[in-house]
Amino acid sequence: MSPAPHAGDTLRRADRRLGVAMLAPALTYITLLVALPFLLALFLSLTNSSAGSLDFSFVGLQNFRSVISNPVFQRSLRNTFVFTLVSQTVVIVLGNVLARALMKPFFGKSVARFLILMPWAAPISLATLGWLWIYDSTFSVINWLLLVIGWLGPGEWYYWLGDTTLGMIAIITIHVWRMLPFSTVILLAGLTSIPNEVREAAAIDGAGMLARIFQVEIPIMKPILIVALLFGVVFTFTDMSLVYLLTRGGPYNSTHVLASLAFQDGVLGGDVGRGAAVAIFLVPVLVVLAVVMLRASRRAEVI
Amino acid sequence: MQTRRQFIVRGGKLVAAGVAATAAGPTIFVRDATAAGQLKILQWSHFVPAYDKWFDPFAKEWGAKHGVEVTVDHVGFADVVPRATAEVAAQAGHDIHMFLGLASAFEEHVIDLADVVGTLEKKYGKQVELARRSTYNAFTQKQFALSDMWVPDPGNFHKAAWTKIGMANGPATYEDLVKAAPEIKKAMPQIQIPIGIGLSQDIDSNMAVRNILWCHGGSIQDKDGNVVLNSPETLAALEYTKRLYSVGMNQAVLSWNAASNNQAFNAQQTAYILNSISAYRTAQDNKLPVLDNYFFTPALKGPTGIQLASEHVMSGYVVWKFSKNQDVAKQFLVALVDASRDSMMASKLYNFPSFYGAAAEANTPVDKKADAGAAWIAAQCNKDPFGSSPPDKLALLAKALPWSTNLGYPGYGNPAEGEIFDTFVITDMFAKAATGALSPKDALAEANTRAKQIFEKWRQKKMVGGGGKDK
Repeated sequence: MSPAPHAGDTLRRADRRLGVAMLAPALTYITLLVALPFLLALFLSLTNSSAGSLDFSFVGLQNFRSVISNPVFQRSLRNTFVFTLVSQTVVIVLGNVLARALMKPFFGKSVARFLILMPWAAPISLATLGWLWIYDSTFSVINWLLLVIGWLGPGEWYYWLGDTTLGMIAIITIHVWRMLPFSTVILLAGLTSIPNEVREAAAIDGAGMLARIFQVEIPIMKPILIVALLFGVVFTFTDMSLVYLLTRGGPYNSTHVLASLAFQDGVLGGDVGRGAAVAIFLVPVLVVLAVVMLRASRRAEVI
Repeated sequence: MQTRRQFIVRGGKLVAAGVAATAAGPTIFVRDATAAGQLKILQWSHFVPAYDKWFDPFAKEWGAKHGVEVTVDHVGFADVVPRATAEVAAQAGHDIHMFLGLASAFEEHVIDLADVVGTLEKKYGKQVELARRSTYNAFTQKQFALSDMWVPDPGNFHKAAWTKIGMANGPATYEDLVKAAPEIKKAMPQIQIPIGIGLSQDIDSNMAVRNILWCHGGSIQDKDGNVVLNSPETLAALEYTKRLYSVGMNQAVLSWNAASNNQAFNAQQTAYILNSISAYRTAQDNKLPVLDNYFFTPALKGPTGIQLASEHVMSGYVVWKFSKNQDVAKQFLVALVDASRDSMMASKLYNFPSFYGAAAEANTPVDKKADAGAAWIAAQCNKDPFGSSPPDKLALLAKALPWSTNLGYPGYGNPAEGEIFDTFVITDMFAKAATGALSPKDALAEANTRAKQIFEKWRQKKMVGGGGKDK
C-alpha cells in the first residue's frame, strides 16, 4: 500500500502546474516568434532559397563566403557598429542632461516634458517623411537656414543624403531624436529614486556638482543606466526602418546597416539565402548583449 | 511513408515560407485565397491618380457583368515585390498581381498565360516587342506575365534654359549634355543641377543609367544571357558619366527617390531629366510656373549612334498558381487589354497599349489593327486632349517605340536582370565611378563580379540561359 501524498507535495505540484501554465504564453510567444524564425534564418542561410520559389538546395557556406567578400556587406557591418555606438553614446549623455533638467522645477515644465516625449510617440514612417524634407538635397530647410545666417556662402550646399558621411550623420541624428525620450524617462526614474539624504550627505562631505554626479549618482544609477543602454543598443542594432526610409542604403549602398542590407538582398532582391546570411551576422553581437542584459537586469532587480 | 530526404525537403519548404513571410511581415498583410465567384487584384497606386479612379470602377463593373465580385487593392510601387514575396510564401492572397518591370523571379509560382496572349494576338495582332521581352522567358519558354501597357521615357527639358544656350530644341546626344551643362550653369545660375539624371538607389536612376550604358554600346547581358558587362563600352559609359557628373551634376542626384527629379524639374532647379509625363501632368494640374518651359526630347544618342531608352514602367500581370479563379483572372486580363483606349485616356496618355491593335476601331481587320491603333495613339499625342500648349507637345511620344526597349536588352528580361535591378548593382557602379568613390575600372570590376554571381545563381535554378560566353 502506497503512503498517502503529503499535503506539502500536493501544494508543490499545484504550484508547479500553475507556474508552467503562467509561463506557457511567454514561452510559446518566444518559441514561435523568436526561436523558430532564428532557426529558419540559420537554415535558409545555408541554402539558395529565393523569394519567388519554395524550392531550394543546400549550398553550404557559399552565401557566407559571397557576403563576406562583398564590399557593401563590409561597409554595412562597419556602419551598424558606428550607428549603434555613436547614437547610443549621444542618447545616454543627452538623456542624462535632459533628465536632470526635468528634475528641477521651471516654468513650462509640463509642456517641455510633452515635447520631449513626442518623438517616441510619433510613427517612424511619418516622422521620417518630415525628416526627408528637412534633409532634402535640393530643398533642405537646414541649408536654407544656414544660408540665411551666413554659415553657407554662395555656391556652398550640404547634400545631406547624397554624401556618405553626411548621410550617416543624418541617420544617427534622427535615431538620437527618436530614442532620446525613452532614455530620458528611464534615467529620470533612476534619478528620482535616489534618496535626497544621499545627495545631502555628499554635499556635507564637500562633494561638488561633478563629484556628486560621477561619484555618487551615476554609481547608484549604474544598473538602470546599463538597462537603458542595452535596450537602446539592441533596438538600434536590429533597426532597418530608418535607413530604409531615409536613404534606402544610398548613396551607392554606403549607408546600409546589416538589417537594411538583409532586407534589400533577401526581400527586394529576392535572394532569401543571402539575406538570411547577412542577418545572421547580427546574432553573435546580440547574444553577447542578451547575456550582459540579463546579468545587469538581475543585478538591478528590474526584471 | 516519408523518406528522411522527403521530410527534409518538405520541412525546408515550410521553413522558406515562414521566413519569407516573417521577413516581409512588417509591411504586409496577407488575406486568404479567394473563393470561386470572386476575383482579387493587387494593383499599384498609379503615378497618375486619375487612372486608379478609372481602373477600380472598371474592374468592379466587369465583375458585375460576369457575376464575379472583384476587389482591387492598391500598394505603392515599392511594395509590389515585397507583397508578392509574402503572398508566395503564404501561398495565399490575390488572384492577379501586377508587377512593374520584371516579374520573372516569380515565374515558378504563376500560371502560363500563353493562351491569353494567343487570344489577344488573334484579336489585335502582335504585342509590342518590348512587352513580349518583359513577360516571356525564352529560356523556359513560359509566358509568365501579361503586359497591357508600357510607358515611354523621354527626356524632359527646360525650354528657356536650353534656348539661352542656343539649343532651343534641347539635347539630341549624350555629348550635348556635357557641352550644355556649364553653359546652363553660367546662363541660369539659379538652377542648382543643370542635368538632373539620378544616380541613386531608385527606379528612375536604374532606368537612366541603363540608357547611358546601352547608348555607349554596353549591356549587362547579351541576347543569349551571357554576362557581358565587363567591356570597353561599359567603361566608356562610366567615363562619360564621370565627365557629365563633374560639369553638370552634384551630390543631390545620389540621394534622389522616384519623385525627386520631378520635384527638382517642377521647381526649375534642373534643366533636364529623364522621366515619363507624370511630372508634366503634375505641373499642369497645379499650374506651375515651369509649365511654359516644359518640353520633351526623344532618347539621346550615344557616341555609337545607338539611341535607346528603357521603358519607364511596364505592367506585368501574373495569375498565381494558388489562385482558385484562374479562368476568371484570364478573362479579366483579356478585358483589360480590350479597354486599352480607355486605359490610355484615363492615365492622361501615360499608359501606352502593349497591344497597339487594341487601340484600333473594333471593325478594323485584324492585320490592319496594329497600324490603325498606332494611328489613333498618334492622333491623341499630336493633339493632347488634356490641354497641352502647344497641343502637339507630346507628339514625340507617338514615335517612342523605336527608341524604347526592355530591361534586359538586348536579351529578354529575366530573374537575374531583375535582381540586379532591385539591388541597384548598375546604379551603384555608375555612382561610384561618377563621384570618384572608385575608378571606373574598379567600379566595373566590382559590379561585374556581383552580376556574374547573380546570373550564376539563376542559371543553377535553370531559369536563365547563357554562361558559356560570360566576360
